[in-house]
Amino acid sequence: MVSSTAVTTTTLFTPSSSSSSFSSSSYSSSYSSSSFSSPLSPKPNTFTPSKSNAVNAVNALCTKPKLRSNVADKLNNIASEFTSLSQPIDRVKRLLHYASLLPPFLDADRVPANRVVGCATQVWVVAEIDERRRMRFRADSDSEISKGFCWCLVWILDGAKPEEVLMVDREDLADVNVGLGMSLKAHSRTNTWHNVLFTMQTAAKDLL
Amino acid sequence: MSSSIVRFGLRRVSSLSVFASAVNEAVAEPAVGSPSLGHSTRPHFPILHQEVNGSKLVYLDNAATSQKPTVVLKALQNYYEGYNSNVHRGIHFLSAKATDEYESARRKVASFINASDSREIVFTKNASEAINLVAYSWGLANLKPEDEIILTVAEHHSAIVPWQIVAEKVGAVLKFVDLNQDGIPDISKLKDMFSRKTKIVVAHHVSNVLASVLPIRDIAQWAHDVGAKVLVDACQSVPHMVVDVQSLNVDFLVASSHKMCGPTGIGFLYGKIDLLSSMPPFLGGGEMISDVYLDHSTYAEPPSRFEAGTPAIGEAIGLGAAIDYLSGIGMQTIHDYEVELGSYLYERLLSVPNIRIYGPAPSENVQRAALCSFNVENLHPTDLATFLDQQHGVAIRSGHHCAQPLHRFLGVSSSARASLYFYNTKEDVDYFIHALNDTVNFFNSFK
Repeated sequence: MVSSTAVTTTTLFTPSSSSSSFSSSSYSSSYSSSSFSSPLSPKPNTFTPSKSNAVNAVNALCTKPKLRSNVADKLNNIASEFTSLSQPIDRVKRLLHYASLLPPFLDADRVPANRVVGCATQVWVVAEIDERRRMRFRADSDSEISKGFCWCLVWILDGAKPEEVLMVDREDLADVNVGLGMSLKAHSRTNTWHNVLFTMQTAAKDLL
Repeated sequence: MSSSIVRFGLRRVSSLSVFASAVNEAVAEPAVGSPSLGHSTRPHFPILHQEVNGSKLVYLDNAATSQKPTVVLKALQNYYEGYNSNVHRGIHFLSAKATDEYESARRKVASFINASDSREIVFTKNASEAINLVAYSWGLANLKPEDEIILTVAEHHSAIVPWQIVAEKVGAVLKFVDLNQDGIPDISKLKDMFSRKTKIVVAHHVSNVLASVLPIRDIAQWAHDVGAKVLVDACQSVPHMVVDVQSLNVDFLVASSHKMCGPTGIGFLYGKIDLLSSMPPFLGGGEMISDVYLDHSTYAEPPSRFEAGTPAIGEAIGLGAAIDYLSGIGMQTIHDYEVELGSYLYERLLSVPNIRIYGPAPSENVQRAALCSFNVENLHPTDLATFLDQQHGVAIRSGHHCAQPLHRFLGVSSSARASLYFYNTKEDVDYFIHALNDTVNFFNSFK
């Protein structure tokens, strides 16, 4: 049990990590990067994937023809990153860091029409399609942890083709085991992952 | 209710003989002197003695559901191992025994809330179904256009939505009482709402968010003065205090097994027998009929009229065992202990910086149930609850607690809630406060 968790908080993220290519300022162009390294890794592919079932599942996922894409690579990277963090507090810290990377969200977009249904927190998602037929997502939440989830999903799916967004299914996400160690297979009303993904996919379907 | 409040010391229970023979688990905390009720009863609940996320479990989500003592688990096991059978219609040994035990459970519920007749107890799958039963059966048969249904803004969704549906069907009107300056439902406004148009009042006994207690006996009197009925949501009172339906003089009362140490999948409706006898069936099926013809059916008397199909037999028997267990401790003993522990929780929470606790402040005249809903400034309750679980093994609830209208009235979308039961201890509260302070510091360090 950690009696004083705040002490170590500020030392987790080094200046190099906070100025990585996935910082807030360059976030919108991250999808075009040829390397899909861990968002917080200063150097690509420096993490060591664990041999957990989750990572195995992701590796299996990436061999599926349907998801042999940048989206699958990003799912893989996120999964590897979070499964390498064995302590819940470190996963929470990582999510809070990602929350801080989420671009500002317009008050005008914080409307019921953009609310994600079913989350225990308030989550808003705006989905658009650009001139290159790529999905553009913006998201926000009143919860910092949910904002971290949102950043991950936006990072994975922003800039993808609508078809690629639709190819991710709930079970793919469940196997990824990103987050706090809770069962992502649980069809819980608190499952922000599923609800935000569902919202993004509904938007992609509508914009197809 | 007792008015005594002990700030920094909990009443000790000198002995607890309840089902001691059924308890094999070691006592979790070393007892100093005579143990408190929490320390005495914790060994009866195997689930409490585990680690979650690397920390000792501290379960403070009892308003959502309670844990089950070994005697209830054994009652379920005994039923399925020894006499599982369908009830009421079999003539063989197992069926007769199952029927005896099922009906015995009904009598236990009746006795527990002092109903005058066990036929006044209808088993339902939960309290929500019990409310729906009254809304669809009594409501559709008795409500007319312009009739008024009085509720408070603090009702659980289960007590609001069925009446919205029925009111829409018949053209009746829902009228809501809001909160007064003390943060509790405004009783004087409620009293002024009554008129000859009022047909039923639907009100909680104890609020699952505010922890406040409504004067149900007075409300029933005001309702009866204008010829209206009273339906009480007693989900948060029956598990925690003596509830006497005859003394309260309510027409309907609902409660849930799983919040009172019993299994999930069963709740009950109390209804005055003359009312139940006058009500049409809610659901059709086996068990609830007298005779079935191809073109019509005649219906059984209550309570069978409202128990279509094979009931939750094992669950009812488990509920009966839970009632035996609670009665063995004594509901007044449980309540007195919870008043003290709840006050301790409230006082300790007040020490957390920038906290807002909803509901009334406890005093000699104002008692709270042993739960606190709260928010800490600039922190989302779900973030708090997530970190408390992940880092400290403390289980609390976050969200709107099925009371969105109340949260809108309070000006927030959600809140955190710590809710106690008699098996919680002062140490649980202390650990929770320590964990909460650590959680707040953690999130603030990111700002």
